[in-house]
Amino acid sequence: MQDKTILEVNHLSKKFGNTDVLKDIDGTVKSGEVICVIGPSGAGKSTFLRCLNLLEKPTSGEVNFEGTDLTSVDDKHLVNLRERMGMVFQSFNLFPNMTVIQNLKLAPMRVKHVSDEEAEKTGMHLLGLVGLQEKAHVYPSSLSGGQQQRVAIARALAMNPEVMLFDEPTSALDPEMVGEVLEVMQKLANEGMTMVVVTHEMGFAKEVADEVWFMADGYILEKGKPEDLFDHPQNDRAKDFIGKIIQNV
Amino acid sequence: MKKSVKTIIQIGLLLLALVTFTAWQTSNASEADNALQRVKQRGELIMVTSPDYPPYEFQVNKNGKSRIVGMDIDVAKKVAKDLHVKLVIKSMNFDSLLVAIQTGKADMAIGGINPTAARRQSVDFSKIYYSGGQSFLINSSDVNKYKSVKNLKGATIGAQTGTLQYGLAKKKIPNSTVKGMDKSTDLVLALKTHKIDALGIEKPSAEAYVKNDPSLKMISSGYHLDKNEVGAAIAFKKGSGSLVNAVNKSIDQIQKQHLTDQYLASAGKYMKVNTVNTSMWHYWTYFAKGVEYTILISVVATFFGVLIGVVLALMRFSKQKWLRGLAISYTEFIRGTPLMVQVMFVYFGIGVVINIPALISGMIAVSLNSGAYVAEIIRGGINSVAKGQTEAAESLGLSKGDMMRFVVLPQAFKNIWPALGNEFISLIKESSIVSIIGVTDLIYQLNIVRADTYRGVIPIFVAMVLYFIMTFALTRLLNHYEGKMKHAG
Repeated sequence: MQDKTILEVNHLSKKFGNTDVLKDIDGTVKSGEVICVIGPSGAGKSTFLRCLNLLEKPTSGEVNFEGTDLTSVDDKHLVNLRERMGMVFQSFNLFPNMTVIQNLKLAPMRVKHVSDEEAEKTGMHLLGLVGLQEKAHVYPSSLSGGQQQRVAIARALAMNPEVMLFDEPTSALDPEMVGEVLEVMQKLANEGMTMVVVTHEMGFAKEVADEVWFMADGYILEKGKPEDLFDHPQNDRAKDFIGKIIQNV
Repeated sequence: MKKSVKTIIQIGLLLLALVTFTAWQTSNASEADNALQRVKQRGELIMVTSPDYPPYEFQVNKNGKSRIVGMDIDVAKKVAKDLHVKLVIKSMNFDSLLVAIQTGKADMAIGGINPTAARRQSVDFSKIYYSGGQSFLINSSDVNKYKSVKNLKGATIGAQTGTLQYGLAKKKIPNSTVKGMDKSTDLVLALKTHKIDALGIEKPSAEAYVKNDPSLKMISSGYHLDKNEVGAAIAFKKGSGSLVNAVNKSIDQIQKQHLTDQYLASAGKYMKVNTVNTSMWHYWTYFAKGVEYTILISVVATFFGVLIGVVLALMRFSKQKWLRGLAISYTEFIRGTPLMVQVMFVYFGIGVVINIPALISGMIAVSLNSGAYVAEIIRGGINSVAKGQTEAAESLGLSKGDMMRFVVLPQAFKNIWPALGNEFISLIKESSIVSIIGVTDLIYQLNIVRADTYRGVIPIFVAMVLYFIMTFALTRLLNHYEGKMKHAG
């Protein structure tokens, strides 16, 4: 299954006003692959990830999702394609007006029109997967950051997506909660989920990623297997960045 | 703002102006004179009056039932009887009487109206059925100060706005300051509290007050006036010659048989009945009816106001420029014009095209008005929902409609609840403006009780307490739901 291409990005550029945030980015994500995107802040990592499901509209270039160019489809079609790409945000973005299980049931019931019982069953199963079944009927405000992020992952999984996009999922967490979220993500990776992860967790990247992409100044400057990129970076900016990080560890 | 949106707003405002203009045009269009025929076909003669002017017309409470009585009413009854039709009485502010007949809300207006030359330009008049003469009311304590009208030089004189007395006081009393108010009951109160020194009023009215209130005295005006300035006549829409002629036949009989003396005498009897029991408890049914209508209007207007508000707010977020432009035009126009004008426009203006009853007109105007304010509040609420919420909803593949319904609006409503509550409370209070078109809300009933009892202050106090009870109950209700929402996240 490693061969099937899920996402393919060609000559992707994004401008905010006159600022070039992304410049001519290419990349391919294959089924079952875990890609970690690393780099200094301001490199354009989050913008790149948000271009993948068109939360940001690229200025030019193509984003092919299973053979369809997302930049060329109409809004209605885009909604249909988006439901097959899960996204996890830095700030969780759970719906505070709904209980945990309602958060998980909303999209399957409204978008996929599954029955209440089925949504409930799938929801409870996924909450079990992230270890939060007993919190099903509380509101998100009573959960810790780590718990909220695990619910957010379960919510994205409830749509049974082809690929999961993670936008710095642990950056807003207190340090003691980072582990529980990474653990869930590792479990997902082990089960064969295709994932694109923007992260500062180098340990996770090293251990879980199939490929690491190093971004700086709006370019992907280097791609490689984690052991190659972390131990023998070729690009000067990558060398500098990895050197600083290792010093800090 | 983008230029195209601006253009659309301009077009929207232009259209509104056009609708207004067309309505005005229609109201001025001359029609063939079928006034009499219409009344006969209908079997009803609809009259408007302002029943706060004893003994001409006023409300009495007999056996718990409210009735409009007075000399004018007896005149109208005689007219209706002679035409072999039923008399239907509508009541509204004196200011609005002539407008009401011009816009076809009624066949005739009667209410001690003096057929002056200026008024003759906009309406037709019957013959004069009664000549009362002008006089002034003063406080008994001032009897020595204002022995005659000459002493009023430089005084502050009150008069009902839109009446002949108002213009006369300005013209004929040197150096006077003239204060105008809507209701003669307010004016009497102003006199008794020395806000004005004298009150210009028709002689029969003045006599009625003096009879009922020993603290008031009457002095003659001493004006030398044309008979058109002292007499009372019935007003009709221009071009109603057939109806005017028919009515004049009745008036001839009234004059010949001196029927007005008889009518005045029976009005006087009613006024005696009236002063027997002026306790507020005696009038509780009046206040209850007022509260009922105020609540009815408020509830309906709140419901439709929120509905209109949500629709307008969503239009503001639409991708279609013309929808956005339309919503902006509407909000700006409604916020930029007084509710009072809107109420009158819906009733009189739109009424030219479709005849909408006063109560419905009031509800429509207040709903339309509230909708514009609610729209702005909701727009603020939608903007207050974090961007991450819509992104999360989008990333899950939710449609725009579902996103609004399940994610954005519930959170927006929670954020704007206090502001919405504010709007609902002011709506209860502002709905009082519908009294000008004769909707029997609390303010309207308050004025009737004041006219009825000759007591100026106590009814105001009662209405104040009633309004407070309503708004306070609403506040408690809103707080209860706010607490519930807080609990839910």
